[in-house]
Amino acid sequence: MAPVRFRVNGKPLSVDADPSTPLLWVLRDHLGMTGTKFGCGIAQCGACTVHLNGDAVRSCQVPLESIADASVTTIEALATNGGAHLQQLWAELNVPQCGYCQAGMLMAAADLLKKTPKPTDEDIDGAMTNICRCGTYPRVRAAIHRAAEKAA
Amino acid sequence: MKGLLMQQDGAAGDLPLDRRRFLVSAAVVGGGMALGIGRGGAATGAGGKPVTGPWGPDAAQGSEFSPWIEIAPDDIVTIRVPQPEIGNGAMTQAAMTVTEELECDWAKVRVAFASIQRNHIEKGVYNVGFQGFFGGHSTEPDRMAHVLQLGASARERLKAAAAARWSVPVADISVKNSVLTHAGSGRTLRYGEVATEAARIVLPAEPARKPRSEWRLIGKSSPSKLNIPDIAHGRATYGIDVKLPGMVHAALMQSPVQGGKLKSHKPEAVLKMPGVRAVIVLDPAKTRGVPAGTKQAATFGFGDCQVQSAVAVIADHYWQARTALEALPVEWDAGSGAQWTDSAKIYAAASELRGKDGARTVKKAGDVATATGKRVVEGDYGTPYCENAMMEPLNATVLVTADGAEAWVPTQDQQQAYWTVIDETGLSPEKVKVHQTFVGGGFGRRTQADDVRMAVAIAKEFPGKPVKTIWTREETFRQGRYRTPITTQYKAVLDDATGLPQMIMGDVAYVGTRPSFMLPLGFSDQPYFNSGIIPNVRLTSANLPITILNGAWRAPCYNSHAFNLETFIDECAVAAGIDPLDYRLKLLAKWDKAWSDTLRVAAEKAGWGAKLPKGEGLGIAISCWPVANMHNNGSVIATVARVSVSQQGELRVRQVDVAFDCGSVANADAVRAQVEGGTMYGLNACLNEEMTVKDGAMVEGNFDEYPMMHMADAPVLNVHFEALSGHERMAIIGEAPTGPIQPAVGNAIFAATGKRLRRTPFRTQDLSWS
Repeated sequence: MAPVRFRVNGKPLSVDADPSTPLLWVLRDHLGMTGTKFGCGIAQCGACTVHLNGDAVRSCQVPLESIADASVTTIEALATNGGAHLQQLWAELNVPQCGYCQAGMLMAAADLLKKTPKPTDEDIDGAMTNICRCGTYPRVRAAIHRAAEKAA
Repeated sequence: MKGLLMQQDGAAGDLPLDRRRFLVSAAVVGGGMALGIGRGGAATGAGGKPVTGPWGPDAAQGSEFSPWIEIAPDDIVTIRVPQPEIGNGAMTQAAMTVTEELECDWAKVRVAFASIQRNHIEKGVYNVGFQGFFGGHSTEPDRMAHVLQLGASARERLKAAAAARWSVPVADISVKNSVLTHAGSGRTLRYGEVATEAARIVLPAEPARKPRSEWRLIGKSSPSKLNIPDIAHGRATYGIDVKLPGMVHAALMQSPVQGGKLKSHKPEAVLKMPGVRAVIVLDPAKTRGVPAGTKQAATFGFGDCQVQSAVAVIADHYWQARTALEALPVEWDAGSGAQWTDSAKIYAAASELRGKDGARTVKKAGDVATATGKRVVEGDYGTPYCENAMMEPLNATVLVTADGAEAWVPTQDQQQAYWTVIDETGLSPEKVKVHQTFVGGGFGRRTQADDVRMAVAIAKEFPGKPVKTIWTREETFRQGRYRTPITTQYKAVLDDATGLPQMIMGDVAYVGTRPSFMLPLGFSDQPYFNSGIIPNVRLTSANLPITILNGAWRAPCYNSHAFNLETFIDECAVAAGIDPLDYRLKLLAKWDKAWSDTLRVAAEKAGWGAKLPKGEGLGIAISCWPVANMHNNGSVIATVARVSVSQQGELRVRQVDVAFDCGSVANADAVRAQVEGGTMYGLNACLNEEMTVKDGAMVEGNFDEYPMMHMADAPVLNVHFEALSGHERMAIIGEAPTGPIQPAVGNAIFAATGKRLRRTPFRTQDLSWS
């Protein structure tokens, strides 16, 4: 198979790997971008959430062969893609504990706020299906509400 | 040391030059690992220079005042911390402690992980207080006193250097925010400007530390964790993120039945697959052992940290290794573990042992046979196997050469990891380095270093190249070191007049744990059994040896004992016709007031006593970690849960109120976060968690089979500080909340439905009512 061309964080790239390789491992192993995390490999936990053509997706389920000409945004570029205020709030509200799931949480939260600038608790429940084992859910919720207030 | 590095350069000849330079600088200083943690800016090391990884440049870049404290010319203070950062803020707390006495500018404080190798070579410079390299004990009193003293000493040496520079009395110099000021002239110097000469000063006597009443940071301020900006920008390096030149990747498959052996495999079937470099067989017989004459100091020993029979595939990329491993034909000999055909068989065999001849009496008071009363309460309570399920799957990266080894690990205990590398490779301690990375959740799973052991065993079969081994989520789940299953048969005879127990008998069975890990915490240490309020007590423990491996699971054993005991006590209250809150207050009347205070605060905040419709209920429970039978000790936690249960049996935990007494708090928001986290952890355990066994192997492999609460399931969670006693201890807080939430929810379900749940998880039980 020919190398697959796509963009990551605005930069055009070409990756030559097995076409079934999940985007998660393309990012982590082939491109050395380790901000996107491996948690479960079956789209359950959301630690690997990235934006694909502007939508939050679980990159462990996206094979390399499916992303020709696509545009991918990862946690490394969230700050320059409208997420800087969220990242700031994550520190202000001391949201993360171990932090491992939080890249995925932030990518999901940014996607939610883009589509629903003033989310209700129900909106948050529906959109934020990422798993956190440390129990940061109340703080993630509070930070999303705070971000919505600040943007208003 | 030099020999190791020369050898590494020779053996790993394809490592690029910058890597060699890194190793050489390590040889020169043999020092700590500066981990740059910015405050919103880019990751930088001491002196503001960028670092390449969590181990960073291995050399001091400023002036060292002690192995813990370094100050650079630009005023950046780097504090080297022995314990890992597992999410509890231990690293940030250590920085707060130094800053309290050093009087440096918080914005200029950076934190690095201390080197266990340096600790060994310099004879324990970091191993201060209880289990120095173990996570979580940042407010342990001996360590805190030591670190405060180091800060005070550095401050006085900076003052002495400034005094010498200005030829003025030291007494005329004051310090604030990394600036030294001369009272008479108003002249100032920054810490960085005098750090070099100050670091050389030896004080005639150690300075006195501030009285506690003058602390301005500890207990007064709640800074967020220093590593959050790096986490939020995807820059924080966890073990799984380690990148090294020439690194290859390994995927691992251990015997599905623990204790089983590899019978056959066909490496030729996968060796020609893309990227595959090797197929490796792991065998405990290949462990070389700690060199003769060297006394090992592994924190927990190696009992739960042996090589398991396994195969691994090494490839250029992880996905290639994993794909090839899945295609590898493998046959296993399950061994004796196969006799455990299902979980019920295990728990039945363990329950048989309770209270019998082999059981050990762990508490005895009075004579249980003398108790009289019309009301007898009996029940059989238990919790099952559970998996720690930390979000970062197990992994480690290891480079082994003929004469040295380095490991990059997300461990909860660098000391355990270090001695495990030494034991597996047979190298002398001076030739082994361990690099602490960030830890994507531990909850006890990364304490025993069995993960490190397996990664070293793989890497030593592929010398000269760094090998990163990543467990799949399924391998992580099915090769756990599980929560010890604990069942307890309780019996009480209630006094006819008071309703309180005249006697309690409790017979515990542990499954498959080593005797040293049969922890009675939350059981025989409870004030109920130690304050004299119950005149006749007999408690026993038995253990069923088994092939399935156990380990530490957030607040080991306590998390089960708390459920079993506090569910039983609730049943006693109901049998006595006394409100469960009042009943506990009566039972704790002869113990520290703090216990009653936590109960009262949690109950009051939760609206205890309100009349609720059927299908809604409040439940309460209390416990204390780590040791409850000493006065003013540990963290006492009282939890009230409010649940609703539909007639169809759908359970919803609406609200949780937690009151606690850990004495005092150093960082209130860090404590709040740990109470939240520990409560959520216990909540998920009681609602959802069970690993089941089939033919000796673990069944559940991922989150689709082992459910986790999501945001939508999380209750309103209120943490109340009003019960804090103000006692001087700052007890560890991450474990204690995991206990009482479980019986609190079960007791609330009883209040709502009349159904008494004596086993977790509740998810699998019929809660419907009419």
